Amino acid sequence: MSMSDPAHPEDATTTPPLDAVDGRTSDELLRVEDLTVSFPTDDGLVQAVRGVSYSVREREVLGIVGESGSGKSVSSMALMGLLPKSARVTGSVYFRGRDVLQLREKHQRALRGSRIAMIFQDPMTALNPVYSIGDQLAEAVLSHHTMPRKKALDRAAEMLDMVGIPQARERLRNYPHEFSGGMRQRVMIAMAVINNPDIIIADEPTTALDVTVQAQILETLIEVKDAVNAAIIMITHDLGVIAGIADRTLVMYAGKPVEVAETGPMFANPRMPYTAGLMGSIPSLEDSTNERLRPIKGTPPSLISLPIGCAFEPRCPLSTAECLETEPPLTETDKPDHVAACHHWQKLAAVDDPTAYFRTESEVGR
Amino acid sequence: MAVFILRRFIISTFTLLAASFVVYFGVSISGDPFEDLRGIQDEGDAQIQIAARRELLQLDVPVPLRWFNWLTGIFRGDFGLNIRNQDVSALLSNAAAATMQMVIVATVLAIVLGVTVGIVSALRQYSGFDYSLTFAAFLFYSLPVFWVAVMLKQYAAIEFNNWLRDPTISPTVTVVVALLAAVAWQALIGGDRQRRLVVSITSFASTAAVLVFFSTTRWFADPGFGTIVVGVMSVISAVVATYLTAGFRHRPPLQAAGATAVAGVGFYLVGGPILAEPSAWTLLGLFVLGIGAALGIGAGLGGIHRRQAMSASALTAVLVSGVIFMDQLLQAYERFFGLVRGRPISTVGSATPGFTGNFWEVGLDSISHLMLPTVALLLISFAVYTRYTRASMLEVMNQDYIRTARAKGLTERTVVMRHGFRNALIPVTTLMAFDFGAVIGGAVITEQVFGWQGMGTLFIRGLNEVDPNPVMAFFVVAGGSIVVFNMIADIAYAYLDPRIRLS
Amino acid sequence: MSTNTEGPPVTRDHEPTQVADDGMEVIARTQGQMVLRRFLRHRAAMLGLGTLLFIVVLAYTSIGYGPFGGWWDKSFLRTGTVLDGGRPTLFTEGFALGEHPFGQDNVGKDYFALVMRGTQQSLVVAFIIGIVTTLLGTLIGAAAGFFRGRTEAVLMRITDAMISVPTLIFAAIVAAVFGRTGIVFLGIALGVVTWTGLARLVRGEFMALREKEFVEAARAIGTSNWRIITKHILPNTVGVIIVTATLAIAAGILLETALSFLGLGIQPPDVSLGSLITEYQTAMVSRPWLFWWPGIFIVAIALSVNFIGDGLRDAFDPRQNRVRD
Ligand SMILES: Nc1ncnc2c1ncn2[C@@H]1O[C@H](COP(=O)(O)OP(=O)(O)O)[C@@H](O)[C@H]1O
Ligand code: SF4
Ligand SMILES: [Mg+2]
Repeated sequence: MSMSDPAHPEDATTTPPLDAVDGRTSDELLRVEDLTVSFPTDDGLVQAVRGVSYSVREREVLGIVGESGSGKSVSSMALMGLLPKSARVTGSVYFRGRDVLQLREKHQRALRGSRIAMIFQDPMTALNPVYSIGDQLAEAVLSHHTMPRKKALDRAAEMLDMVGIPQARERLRNYPHEFSGGMRQRVMIAMAVINNPDIIIADEPTTALDVTVQAQILETLIEVKDAVNAAIIMITHDLGVIAGIADRTLVMYAGKPVEVAETGPMFANPRMPYTAGLMGSIPSLEDSTNERLRPIKGTPPSLISLPIGCAFEPRCPLSTAECLETEPPLTETDKPDHVAACHHWQKLAAVDDPTAYFRTESEVGR
Repeated sequence: MAVFILRRFIISTFTLLAASFVVYFGVSISGDPFEDLRGIQDEGDAQIQIAARRELLQLDVPVPLRWFNWLTGIFRGDFGLNIRNQDVSALLSNAAAATMQMVIVATVLAIVLGVTVGIVSALRQYSGFDYSLTFAAFLFYSLPVFWVAVMLKQYAAIEFNNWLRDPTISPTVTVVVALLAAVAWQALIGGDRQRRLVVSITSFASTAAVLVFFSTTRWFADPGFGTIVVGVMSVISAVVATYLTAGFRHRPPLQAAGATAVAGVGFYLVGGPILAEPSAWTLLGLFVLGIGAALGIGAGLGGIHRRQAMSASALTAVLVSGVIFMDQLLQAYERFFGLVRGRPISTVGSATPGFTGNFWEVGLDSISHLMLPTVALLLISFAVYTRYTRASMLEVMNQDYIRTARAKGLTERTVVMRHGFRNALIPVTTLMAFDFGAVIGGAVITEQVFGWQGMGTLFIRGLNEVDPNPVMAFFVVAGGSIVVFNMIADIAYAYLDPRIRLS
Repeated sequence: MSTNTEGPPVTRDHEPTQVADDGMEVIARTQGQMVLRRFLRHRAAMLGLGTLLFIVVLAYTSIGYGPFGGWWDKSFLRTGTVLDGGRPTLFTEGFALGEHPFGQDNVGKDYFALVMRGTQQSLVVAFIIGIVTTLLGTLIGAAAGFFRGRTEAVLMRITDAMISVPTLIFAAIVAAVFGRTGIVFLGIALGVVTWTGLARLVRGEFMALREKEFVEAARAIGTSNWRIITKHILPNTVGVIIVTATLAIAAGILLETALSFLGLGIQPPDVSLGSLITEYQTAMVSRPWLFWWPGIFIVAIALSVNFIGDGLRDAFDPRQNRVRD
């Protein structure tokens, strides 16, 4: 092992000429191509991610939604190289033109926490209980920069202050158990941005929190992202979280993207029944008919034995024989940058309220 | 934290008090204290002796009152008399030293080896190494302690001593041992097929070479290191210490550790006269001084990596001290070998009767007596610590904060040592408290096999003769040391876990 | 409002809710079968089970037990002439037991019969220890964990007091008091000092489970404590109890062995595996087989039982085997 070559992120990211690898738009930061992840288990091969492609531009917010188990976390962990050893990963993840998955472990590590940062779902367990907050934040800085510990702690205090933790300097000495859940998630946000990353992957950052603090945390996250000029991949199972903040949204189902579009148009005109179903499941304020929340009936398919046709077919109100036989590819719909994987997207386009397909029988009969 | 530990201490003292009553009561009613006198032919003589014993053991006083008398005696440091009218305190002071030495050495070794092996086993889950260890652990806790002790006595002592008359290693043994080494190392280091092959071949060749060297030079007849080996081992110590505490990403820690190793070897070369006939205190003083110097070197050379450099060089100092200590012991071997008439591994007692010599020779003598009983005692505890640490480490490495640590971009070494290891130790401290009692129980048995006049003998003889005072003396020392050990475990726990420390 | 009139009617045979219901039922029905299947797949446990069964059958059929005779004609009590220095005849001429398969001791007793008798008695003691430990540990742990308050304080103080004394020490004293009255009492007495570990585990489980929703719900509708314990909590703790009970049997074998070594176990002329090794430990040099046979049987039994315990633990709680994300 060479000791004279400290794995500085600067070295790692500047080695290849920026954006020179291909001729794509220069503000494209991250491009995921045909990513698949599977896990061999006793019961068979779990195909957790089955071909995910997307790109993220500088400072953009990309939302990824889907029910739990749809492969959102696994696909994002694959980008970070955080999957267990048993995972089989294929495909490519280009970060500023370089394929992260092909990098040597050392260079991959240099990106982690420095250029690509991550925030996890459960702040109660994401911090090490035996080290102080200051230690854990300083460690994040020191693992990528050579500087005195005191300066790293200064940086940590500055970050805590930025995410809205009062008396930041004093609180550096506190341990995680002395913080509330919301405060811990703020610490996690501070840790994510402490090295000025280019992209932050936020995996359900508010799901484990009290409803009352969810909005505050989201707001903090967006503020901080703007402060450090980072892009965000916002993963959630809650369309409500995406609605306000994501520029574009990717909907995942059974390990695959089933619809990708700008958030506004997608919410207005979903082109895939699953998206419509998800939207039907958020109660809207304008809806005066006092209808109840309608979760989509049924459960996602087993990732070990997937159907040959559309994975959503058993739960889809629009399904036909064609859906049973062939899997719909992700294709352009009525707008070029609105892609969806459904044989019958036109049917959704033809009705005023696509979510109506998911009304229960009794409601339909009324 | 102080309140937490004090509370635990008071509770365990009272628990011990209650338990002492139960034990006293149990021993008192466990049989007939006059059994050995029943056979006496002369009726009158028997009557007199029985009366005398009745007086001695206060058999007319009700048991609870006797217990109370005993208890008040304890607080005056008086352990009473045994059934033969001997002062138990005197018996105890001889017995306790030997037994506690064995128990403490066994416990410390079990913890150090068990935790290390458990961690490695967890990090290499499902490897050949892991499977072999799992099997060994199961085997160890399925072995009756005394069966192992008898076997060790036969094979590791008697036959080993016989072999020492002509310490050559046969080619078959060399090949088998080298093969085993090759299998073990490749499993331990892991990696892809090619790397495993390289590791296997290297370790096979080097093990075989070392064994052939031992055999042809008849090394075992007069084992020793010599300056070169001490030097090489010191350098290895510096590298290992640096790897464990700081890693090689930055230079200063390695430089500090290296400087410490050089300083240690330097002392070894010039410090001969001091080391020749030291007292235990001199050695302890030297050790403390060495650690201090190492910390100084670390602070001086560390720069902005001062913390890591200081721990790397302190650990180096500990390891190098160990190497020098071993070397000095082995230098005394020749005279020791003569003193014990060529049978270095002892099978009886805790010291050679009438043995005198300098610190190193006496040290060798007690090591040669301690070794086998300690190994016999160690196996079960080692297995328990290994399994427990492995489970704990696997659990910890699955925690979210380990994922966070990786997501920060820390090296795997830092993730494992700083975030994994530290947390995995927390549950192990609770095991320490339990296991210590089991080791004391095991000591009672090993002592019998190896003919020690230790605390176990006090206990067993007292129990068989329905004589409570020696049994209680054993109980006080055993129970007292368990309480103390519990306290140490509590302090370690509080030190490791801020949730306890700060509450 | 427009519904699915535009497409062909949705086929009813894969109605979503149906799928969900079926899924739930399947899971519920096979819970026990899953445990069994995982256990049967555990290779070490199966090997252990096979070995244990073999030893049990061998020990009880060979020299018989109580009123039942066996196929081996020599008694463990009868002395005889020492043939061929008492060497084992097993496999000396092909696969045959011979006259004295495990050899003879110095007064000519058949060592096979002795070892079989020792195995029988060791097994009996170990199983009694296992049963008593399990009953006491479960009862005390359950009471402490469920009722809390004063009950818990008292029971846990007793447990702590017992844990503070090394098990072997306590066992030796109890064996000295009760052990000489026979193996059943010895087993019971030893069971009485070994329940503490299980009690703590069961208490922990109970404390966790009594706060769970389904227990709260049962209490809310006025279910009696007895029913809550037996119907709702206990079934969820069987895993812990069974595993610990198994391991207690292995520990019991070794405990009895250790006590025999100290002269506090089974009393002569009856024998246990432990008392055999103790009696013949000095024969290590002259007649090593007298030392080896009982030792091998102890290790085989303890190892088998420990493997079975490990298999059960994995079967009940596969968490550690699964790679999590
Ligand atoms: N280590 C693993 N081994 C086997 N299956 C896994 C593993 N990690 C995740 N999975 C499976 O992959 C699927 C996707 O999980 P995940 O990405 O966590 O979903 P979510 O969209 O809720 O984040 C799930 O069905 C999960 O069971
Ligand atoms: S392809 Fe068919 S089954 Fe799949 S979503 Fe579209 S309509 Fe439904
Ligand atoms: Mg997830």
